[in-house]
Amino acid sequence: MALQMEERPRAPLSPEPERKIGDDGPRRPDVSRPDSKRLLERMKRVDPEQAKRYRQRSGE
Amino acid sequence: MLFGLETEYGMHVDGKGPAEMIAEARSVVRAWRGESAGPWDYASESPRLDMRGFEVDRLNRDRADQRWDKVSDHYESQSDERADRVLTNGARFYNDHGHPEYATPECRTLYDLVAHDKAGERIVWESAKAHSESGEPVSIYKNNTDFHGASYGCHESYLIPRDIPYEDLRRALVPFLVTRQLYAGAGKVGVEPSGRSGTVFQLLQRADFITEEASIDTLSRRPVFNTRDEPHADPELYRRLHVVSGDANMNERATALKVGATAAVLRMVAKDWRSELVVREPAKAMQAISRDPSCRWIVELEGNRTMAAVDIQRVYAEEAAEMLSREEDGEDIFTAMELWMAALDGLEQDWSTMAHSVDWVAKRRLIDMYRESEGLDWDDPFLRSLDLAYSDVNPETGLFRALEQEGTARSFVSEADIVRAMEEPPADTRAAVRGALVERFGTEIAALSWGGVWLGADGSRSYLDLGMPNEEEAGAAATKVRKALSLNEALRSLSAIS
Repeated sequence: MALQMEERPRAPLSPEPERKIGDDGPRRPDVSRPDSKRLLERMKRVDPEQAKRYRQRSGE
Repeated sequence: MLFGLETEYGMHVDGKGPAEMIAEARSVVRAWRGESAGPWDYASESPRLDMRGFEVDRLNRDRADQRWDKVSDHYESQSDERADRVLTNGARFYNDHGHPEYATPECRTLYDLVAHDKAGERIVWESAKAHSESGEPVSIYKNNTDFHGASYGCHESYLIPRDIPYEDLRRALVPFLVTRQLYAGAGKVGVEPSGRSGTVFQLLQRADFITEEASIDTLSRRPVFNTRDEPHADPELYRRLHVVSGDANMNERATALKVGATAAVLRMVAKDWRSELVVREPAKAMQAISRDPSCRWIVELEGNRTMAAVDIQRVYAEEAAEMLSREEDGEDIFTAMELWMAALDGLEQDWSTMAHSVDWVAKRRLIDMYRESEGLDWDDPFLRSLDLAYSDVNPETGLFRALEQEGTARSFVSEADIVRAMEEPPADTRAAVRGALVERFGTEIAALSWGGVWLGADGSRSYLDLGMPNEEEAGAAATKVRKALSLNEALRSLSAIS
């Protein structure tokens, strides 16, 4: 291993932030929250032909 | 244990077909406005080495796809075609055969991994938006099929000790990988190739494309268990389990559980745990579970036995709970076990209650809601467009993004940490050093790979092997790089020129 670490000071890591499942913090501020009616409206705006036109290269 | 995700994104540009996708994906990657370095050092790669102890002459390609190859496309080099770049967060971003591919940096925790996976979505989307300013709007999809027979992957990498024998790995992993789609499948309308009707909704997008139990191939005849032997680290010490049979997940918890449970199984195997379950014809079993309309998900085992896929997963989860501990195996074990048990309980009691954490359930419920509202039959082609729209990463049009905004898709990481991960690497892996070098001395980088960085130019190149530093070493090394006034000072402080 070329990365020689022995001479480096062993600085302690910063303590991990308190993390919980579902940890909040500002969430997705880019679009306002839709209710269920708005969800259905968003589905109605989907282009019905989109999957038919969607063609990809085969990948890994 | 280190892990990472590499996701090939689907894209659509009006008026452009598969033959133009390589050029389009290249343009999207090149549109990224953040700092980056390149090119990629392909000399360090060896994708034809097989875990079973041999090297294949070539990897099989998808013959149907080759019709889209354009002889008019000429690029200076492989790296030029791929628009290879490494970002300040340590990730790799490039054009992989017509798909913008984002490979997360190496992560040590599930939290970091999910944050970096979601950061990748944002980076690809920001690049697509930047490209769209040229007057060519691009849509980006985090899925694994085009509904016309083409599939592309979301691969997982797990760095594990070299001394785990291949056969033990395969035997332990195959039943687990066949059945984890219960909570890790992204869901799909219909079956490919079209015409094999009878199946209206599947759990796993990749199921139609998995035809082998074990193989080195990833472009054709894809396997449940990939045997590629390319650790991207010291091959005397490490293996990299390269999982190619999973779906790309939109739901943060699904990603966390998929990787957390797989990592838990690998930890068990490293402690000499051996599976007694042997699935009969694993690739067919994977498809049968995915397409089972009864949602009973019965699996045929060797020895004329059958077992529900949920119960197979329970065997693994309960063994993990018995063998692994927070003290010895880390906090992520507790997190993974909590998610795992909750998912299995929910799926067994009433799968429809798991929409908050399982992508296929959320997608299925959306489609059921729309069908009921509009009176559509399952063979209505609009349903495939809804399927596609679920994976649309655009926050204004994507259906999963709408579920997030509505609050019905539970999160695993904070928005602030996703945004941070777009620029900053995990602090505790070699990615921290890679990212710091890109940020501070990107113009002095001659080439990069996962394992090291070529520095300098004009014939005076030197190679920095990043090695495999532990948490403290990685953080300390990255700090040295960031504080150095010159590249030479950084290298001297690392004592690392070879």
